[in-house]
Amino acid sequence: MSAKNVFKTAELMKKIMKDYNEAGRAAKEGGRPVAWVTAVFPVEIIYAAGLFPYYPENFGAVAAARKVTHELSTAAEAKGYAGDLCGYARSGIGDAYSEEHPVGKILEPDLLFCCNTQCGSLPKWFEVAGRVYNSPYFLLDSPRVGLETDRLCIDYFIDQLHEMITFIEKQTGEPFDYDHLTEVLHLSNEACRLWNEILDSAALRPAPFGFFDACFHMAPIVTMRGTREAVDYYRALKEEIEERIEKGITAIPEERHKIYFDHIPCWPKLRWFSELFASQGALVVASQYTHSWAYSFDLERPLESLAENYTHEFVNRCFEYRVNRKISFMKKYDVDGFVLFSNRSCKPNAFGLYAKSKLIREKTGLPGAVFEADMADLRLFSEDQVLAKLEPFFEQLH
Amino acid sequence: MIHAAGFFPYGIVGGSTNLEEANAHLQAWACSHSRSALARALEGKLDFLDGLIIPHTCDTMRMLLDLWEHVRPLPYMENYRLPRQANRSSAGKYLLGELKRIKTGLEEFRGAPIEDEALRDSIDLYNQNRRMLRRLTDLHISYPHLISSRRLYTVINASMVLPREEVNRLLQALVGQLEQDLDGQAGDGHVRLLLSGTLLEPFEVLDYIEEFGGTVVADDFQNGYRYIEGDVNTELAPLEALVDRQLKRIPSAAFDIEQNPRRFFLTDLAKGKKAEGAILLHLTFCEPENFDSYDNLKAMQAVGIPATRIETQFGGSGLGQIRTRIHAFMEMLGGESR
Repeated sequence: MSAKNVFKTAELMKKIMKDYNEAGRAAKEGGRPVAWVTAVFPVEIIYAAGLFPYYPENFGAVAAARKVTHELSTAAEAKGYAGDLCGYARSGIGDAYSEEHPVGKILEPDLLFCCNTQCGSLPKWFEVAGRVYNSPYFLLDSPRVGLETDRLCIDYFIDQLHEMITFIEKQTGEPFDYDHLTEVLHLSNEACRLWNEILDSAALRPAPFGFFDACFHMAPIVTMRGTREAVDYYRALKEEIEERIEKGITAIPEERHKIYFDHIPCWPKLRWFSELFASQGALVVASQYTHSWAYSFDLERPLESLAENYTHEFVNRCFEYRVNRKISFMKKYDVDGFVLFSNRSCKPNAFGLYAKSKLIREKTGLPGAVFEADMADLRLFSEDQVLAKLEPFFEQLH
Repeated sequence: MIHAAGFFPYGIVGGSTNLEEANAHLQAWACSHSRSALARALEGKLDFLDGLIIPHTCDTMRMLLDLWEHVRPLPYMENYRLPRQANRSSAGKYLLGELKRIKTGLEEFRGAPIEDEALRDSIDLYNQNRRMLRRLTDLHISYPHLISSRRLYTVINASMVLPREEVNRLLQALVGQLEQDLDGQAGDGHVRLLLSGTLLEPFEVLDYIEEFGGTVVADDFQNGYRYIEGDVNTELAPLEALVDRQLKRIPSAAFDIEQNPRRFFLTDLAKGKKAEGAILLHLTFCEPENFDSYDNLKAMQAVGIPATRIETQFGGSGLGQIRTRIHAFMEMLGGESR
């Protein structure tokens, strides 16, 4: 991502995210309820209900990218929240207790919605926020799913979607608009389709777009899927990528290797990582993380389809499913090696990673490395320790 | 259900001090409960098991079974996917389905169905066990010199690993003997404490409390009161009754109920048992507990009960520091002057 290689669309993203943030503040002032939601949550229902969805995880990622997680965290730690909790959660809780707001104040919730497919940290953080801001909280519970389609979990989730819609109707005093939901789902399908076509372009050799680009361009698919803006944005990005393919503009100057990476990037060190890989002629092409938003909803059966998509998302699946999925990405993108990030902030992704790494090496014969760091907090990051794991890995690529 | 299937239920509560091999598989920032349990398995100390069920109470437990299955497989391995919300009607319907799923799995492993009658018998046995342990707890609270905190919790924990029929026979004898001994005796002047946390560990904590003039009158540990409170309703069909008990259990950090009712449960419990102080035992790296503990401490302080938080780990490390902390806290409560 050298300076001349910056996407034109980046400007458009800055604009739509600025508009989105302003819309949040306007909602707050204008009496439209601000609803906190998690990244893997059926936000389509929130949009359809006319609430303003706000993503505290995005707040956490922005704080991380601006390298201030530890500053916010200090205020949380002073209350006894441990420094080993999720960095996003510490940023959010810290912001609630802090006098200083280095990334601007978090948008306070009127309602909180949390789905626990991703982890158990988010529900606990949201519960804390519910008490701090004195706002009603709704947990959408999603038991873990194994290798096969799990009817019990889908049915449980559908029951809860009904409970959630009743909860929303009670809060807003208005009946839920199922026709609007269908429109939102259609837009969500479109954005997801475009996003995944964009991600696919990383498979080209050399590729115009890689994982670190995806990290930069993912905010709208997380926060705005279900809106026209997200569809327009990814249409523009896709056009730009096609233009780059025609002109031969590539993601890194000399792509010699393709690498698979899991999971969340190390936000405060995003540039350091992208330059490190690029210096080795290695393009990181895929991650389960950026591929999370690959939903496909059946408009004829909206709630069932929401339940199927969200409960069976990879973050909610078993060890074997996740290993198989990683390997299928490695095959699809024809990678030369893999790097797995044991993220202090993310127990569900980190625990079991050493066993997964060993299994993947055995099954694919590819070189791989696991490194320890944190996605957000620089106090838990050491360049030397990361390099000690990655340098021998790069050696194996040559 | 495990008992009714004819299997021997054995509760794993950590227990290994040699974490070296476990460190290769589970990061050092996983809680010492999970790491020491896995360590025991890796050392071959759990090879007598035919199966393992891990309930989903946190992210670590959610990930542990798969990892365990990968590094030290057992013939039968299953996740118990508890609903993480307990206050809406969907939770009961789902949990019934989940229990049926586990029942079917146990039946397949066993090669025969689990009959309702067997299930009812097991429910009776376990209800009886909990009732006697509660009676023992009451005796301890009133007469701590007859049965100390350390002994009470040792008996409760022994119940998790010994055949329940045998435990019940021993408990009956113990309770009977204590009831005889208490004739004419009155309670003494210990400082009454509430302990709270995920797991009671290390047990030396109880020795230190008594050393400095205290006694435990209430707790909400998974290997303490949370394990023995509440019976299974024998009027209901067996599986429905198990669902009913699970959803009515005392609040825990592992389940998401709006506004953390556990803090009020704890203050009510402390007041009800006339606790003079509260110690929150915080298992290092226990995430659900950590998210709640600030509120729990604040709630205790709000009702005028002095409270402190002490970090603990499985494996016996940091005992000196724990003793010092307890000493200081007990001194503040006037424990030694009584």
